[in-house]
Amino acid sequence: MTDRWERDVPVYNVPIWTKPFKVLMSLGGIALLLTLYREVVGLGPASGMNDAYAWGIWKTFNVMTLTGLGSGAFAIGISAWLFKQSKLHTVMRIALLTSFLAYLSGLIMIGIDVGRPWNIYWLVTPWNWNPHSPLLEVMFCMPAYAMLPLLLENVPPVLEYFHRNKPGTREFVEKCEKIIIAGYPFIVALAYILPAMHQSSLGALMLLAGDKVNPLWQTPFLPLLYVWAAAYLGVCCVAGTLLFTCLMWKRPYDMDVLVLLNKICAWLVGTWILFRMLDIVISGRLGFAFSADIFAGLFWMEMLFLGVGLYMLIDSAKLRNARLMFHAHVLIGVGGLLYRFNPTTLAFQPKPGAFYFPSAMELLISIGFVSLAIAGFCVAVKLLAILPAPTYTWFQMEAHESKLKALNRDEKVGELVTANNFSD
Amino acid sequence: MELTRREALKKFATGTGAAVATAGLTTIALPGSANAEVEFKEAPKNAVSLLYDATRCIGCKSCVAACAEANNLQPDTSLSGGLHQAPADLNAFTKNIIKLYKPADGRGWSYVKQQCMQCVDPTCVAGCSFFALTKRPEDGVVWWNASKCMGCRYCEISCPFHVPKFQWEGFNPKIVKCEMCKERLAVGKQPACTSVCPVQAVVFGTREQNLAEAKRRIAENPDKYYQNKIYGETDGGGTQNLYLSHVPFEKLGLPDLGTESIPSKYMKWQRKLYSFLVVPTVLYVTMVGVIRGNWKEHKHHMEEEQKKTGLRPQL
Repeated sequence: MTDRWERDVPVYNVPIWTKPFKVLMSLGGIALLLTLYREVVGLGPASGMNDAYAWGIWKTFNVMTLTGLGSGAFAIGISAWLFKQSKLHTVMRIALLTSFLAYLSGLIMIGIDVGRPWNIYWLVTPWNWNPHSPLLEVMFCMPAYAMLPLLLENVPPVLEYFHRNKPGTREFVEKCEKIIIAGYPFIVALAYILPAMHQSSLGALMLLAGDKVNPLWQTPFLPLLYVWAAAYLGVCCVAGTLLFTCLMWKRPYDMDVLVLLNKICAWLVGTWILFRMLDIVISGRLGFAFSADIFAGLFWMEMLFLGVGLYMLIDSAKLRNARLMFHAHVLIGVGGLLYRFNPTTLAFQPKPGAFYFPSAMELLISIGFVSLAIAGFCVAVKLLAILPAPTYTWFQMEAHESKLKALNRDEKVGELVTANNFSD
Repeated sequence: MELTRREALKKFATGTGAAVATAGLTTIALPGSANAEVEFKEAPKNAVSLLYDATRCIGCKSCVAACAEANNLQPDTSLSGGLHQAPADLNAFTKNIIKLYKPADGRGWSYVKQQCMQCVDPTCVAGCSFFALTKRPEDGVVWWNASKCMGCRYCEISCPFHVPKFQWEGFNPKIVKCEMCKERLAVGKQPACTSVCPVQAVVFGTREQNLAEAKRRIAENPDKYYQNKIYGETDGGGTQNLYLSHVPFEKLGLPDLGTESIPSKYMKWQRKLYSFLVVPTVLYVTMVGVIRGNWKEHKHHMEEEQKKTGLRPQL
């Protein structure tokens, strides 16, 4: 393989309205309808939540867990901009897009989950804030991150689209680009400080739950472990998406960049496992890992996914094997998501006899908004230059486009000829 | 590559160092502000309090009925088949409840009253984004404010006593919890539950009065009470409502929390990191510096690419 990712190129030879896309959109449509129902009747009839398990999967999975996968722009951006891994600049756009969509769907879920959403407007009045609340930190930083740095960093591909397809807008686009370039370092730095703060605060949320969280997860280092897990989850989401899209749309892949991503991910996962184990051993909680209960089982399940995933990451980087690499990222993803989900739900024991299982409606809404994010991704990569490719792909795309235009003209001419024949 | 990474790390190290130094300075310069909140908190001087004595309670539940009446709560009839008020637990219709603890052998049973403990350092207030739950400085009662609450239910997640409850039905849900009959307190009356108790199993007073009363009862009957302990004196950083019992407190749903409050126990580091946003600001400024340095190089690289391929550079 000698292909290099040099430039981001749209997926130009695939239609947008495919069958999977229609399925995703209808799942999203169902979720929107059910959301209306939830807003009218309240949270109780729509979900499995109760006073003991007051947070259901909308918050614990869609927000606290899945935004970990949306931290690709955070982790890869830091590697590219702060640690000068210049090879990674070509995969920044996909990282930014996946992050933006993951956060957007998460933010919508917060809005659906809270019972009195009309009071969210207090966010714009800092004198009403409780500065020590981890939830305030999350509620402020998450939208701030998604709507400022993430959104702004996702603007250049859109501007580029207009520049290429709508010649009339070129002057305006160039003006916008100048403004963005002037502020870029400030925006980019904001894109690292905000997620570092709110991804750790997502972990800090569970600190106040105290002993309700199983000792294997409850630790003062929960915020650090959460943001760390977000970092490797972000990398593995981007790497996994890259591998998957290359396979699906038959695009060439750049092994060097993928191996670099593997190394970053492996380094993060390795140190994370080490730190987590040290924390448990030093604070004397190791005994809980060997008690015969479901929590010890969950703990070892996490460790198994992450441990095997780590081994496969290192192995696939050595072998430069794309298939193995993809499987490694899936395993790391499952392990990391499990870690972030466990203290909020599975290893959260509010009181004896308490039970929670998401209702069908709850599940459908949760799935629906994830589907919408995926559908958004599918549209964006086909219209905009998001996915990385060798430069020659760009010229192939231009050739393909002009051929298509010519073909259309020929068809029109052909139609005219047949019409004339009939009149004769 | 090695050198540049070291440079980046160096810049980080200086940034972090500066942050630590500034944070240290602010701690010295402003001892009365943010950091002081981490220290041990004390109840307000006129903190109102309930003292519940499980050895006296006869389980008549008149306090449950009086509470519902005083607070205009619809009676929860779920355990009586719709006949009379018989709630299963604290819930959206119940701010106060009498429960029975009875072990399998029937010995050492006890009633227990459950309502908000009015913690000295409440976990629910510590987590509440806009102080929809606040501790009144005058009497220490934790109030709920409908116009500030966004219904996130973090108070339910964090309360170690499972007190705040949420109205799961309807489009305008509220948080329901004991506020010590704040309307009655305002006109100089005592809370409904203490006003009707026929055996003074629950009495109203200031926290100081009730602590003295509890100590008096223990001194009078040294063997009567479990560990001769007043639950709430120091538990979980102290609570305004106090308990005496002849059975272990854990059996009555009063968990062993240690003497430190949950917010100060778990949020120490979090609070220091965010005090005056010093650490985040220093980190941000450092990162802008590093990125601006690398930005020039990136721009140069983009220009070269443009020359090579003749295509517009991609940001």
